[in-house]
Amino acid sequence: MRFTWDIFCTVIDNFGDIGVTWRLARQLAAEHDLDVRLWVDDLGAFVRLCPSADASLAVQEVQGVAVHYWAAQWSPVAAADVVIEAFACELPPAYIAGMQGRERPSLWLNLEYLSAEAWVDDCHGLPSPQGKGLQKYFFFPGFSTRSGGLLREAGLIARRRAFQCDIAAQQAFLHDIGVARASGHRLISLFCYENSALSSLLDALAESVQPSLLLVPEGCVSAGLKSYFGLEHISRDHSYERGALTVQLIPFLSQQDYDYLLWSCDLNFVRGEDSFIRAQWAARPFIWHIYPQQDEVHIDKLQAFLDRFSVCLDGACSEVLSALSMDWNEGRNMAQSWRRYDAASPVLAGHTADWSARLAEGENLAYSLVQFHQNWL
Amino acid sequence: MKTAQEMKPNSVMLIDGQPWMVQKAEFTKSGRNSAIVKMKLKNLLSGSTTETVFKSEDKVEPVILERIAVTYSYVADSVYVFMDDEFNQYELSEDDIESVLPYIVDGMTDICEAVFFEGKVISVDLPTTIVRQIVYTEGSARGDTSGKVMKPAKLSNGTEVKVADFCEIDDWIEIDTRNGEYKCRAKAPF
Repeated sequence: MRFTWDIFCTVIDNFGDIGVTWRLARQLAAEHDLDVRLWVDDLGAFVRLCPSADASLAVQEVQGVAVHYWAAQWSPVAAADVVIEAFACELPPAYIAGMQGRERPSLWLNLEYLSAEAWVDDCHGLPSPQGKGLQKYFFFPGFSTRSGGLLREAGLIARRRAFQCDIAAQQAFLHDIGVARASGHRLISLFCYENSALSSLLDALAESVQPSLLLVPEGCVSAGLKSYFGLEHISRDHSYERGALTVQLIPFLSQQDYDYLLWSCDLNFVRGEDSFIRAQWAARPFIWHIYPQQDEVHIDKLQAFLDRFSVCLDGACSEVLSALSMDWNEGRNMAQSWRRYDAASPVLAGHTADWSARLAEGENLAYSLVQFHQNWL
Repeated sequence: MKTAQEMKPNSVMLIDGQPWMVQKAEFTKSGRNSAIVKMKLKNLLSGSTTETVFKSEDKVEPVILERIAVTYSYVADSVYVFMDDEFNQYELSEDDIESVLPYIVDGMTDICEAVFFEGKVISVDLPTTIVRQIVYTEGSARGDTSGKVMKPAKLSNGTEVKVADFCEIDDWIEIDTRNGEYKCRAKAPF
């Protein structure tokens, strides 16, 4: 018997929520022989990540997953064996009633955002009574063995290694997205939220000894780039130079192509959750722009990650990374922290590769979810 | 209904018809994660405990338990008997009063509260502060008078508490029943 899984995703903003749930849905279907439905309330966002999909279809089969438009007006369907509400989205009341009405109630999981904080380990997998005999379980991705692990599909590390050893494949990929890498240029990808530290980062790169080619997905920080270069319009038809810095816009990439980009670059600026995780599998140095919040609670979360990441890193390099990360996330001038980071980059590159290899020995999230279901049964 | 965040230690909520008392509640808010409350709950009927997580805004059903003032009478065959001022007797097992058992002593005069759920007595609460007599403790080792140096002492029912180093045998002491901690020396309650 194939188990049925429903994953519900509301797109709050950007692409993080749908990015994570789409990867998870694919992996569950492909690697665990499950019937997976992905319910998403914004097919436009989904299609940006999966260009082969059609935003006008209420139901479509994509890469083994039944992708359903989650309309505001809910049409009742039979509840699945396992139900994941991603990031605490609210399930339709009628669907919850259906979960209760089954001969054996559905396993109800709230998949939370990734955090490196210690409290995650104490809360992972705990039940949350919902009344009428239903329990919801909190499922926390994380970096420790007591958490739910990280999304990592089978064969990912081998594919990345093969790609990173294959110069021709890298050149072909870059060529396909319109990038020609000049010899001696440092290749950097930039994916971040609007950031008042951007201009100081660009200045620092412009003043560096080593030339940099900065690749920015179209639409990302375009206001900041236009302001920096004093232009009303920027486009993929041109590149923009200042000192040792060249900025080039690239198309918004599918998840697969974004992986190739991360694998190709010497340094990746990433944001949110999905690209943050993928940067770690890329095993190349990365700087995380965490989702900012008004009450600054994101800084604790950032620090928790930096603390965990830096455990086997020497104190000086750890401090350099922390300073740059905090400047970037708090919108401060990055001139000084960039210079120090630049000097420490060979050590940080080695450390990031080691970190990635250690993480790859841990549990992956999809497997943890399947195991949790089996144990629950 | 209340939100989970409003439930504090010792408050009681109804889950699937069972009364659960909050023994511990920890609020966490991190990044984009849901604000959550991790709770340790005790089932007031079965005595079982469990750990749970609620979103802080989850609605829960609070329960106001009926309480009647009682005093301790006696124990027979591990059944503890309490009496109200109309001489009605209420029998409770050791399990029912597990949390207060260390402070039950013969002759105690504390005004306690018998706790009822759906008409049935399910437990007894002691006052927050009680006075008990030390039946044994070692002499003061260091002559400390600050009250910061602690040593073990035994009550008449064998319960051991940490008391100030200057306390002596036959001294009366105040104990906080919420955490079992010694508060200060006290006068005899009679």
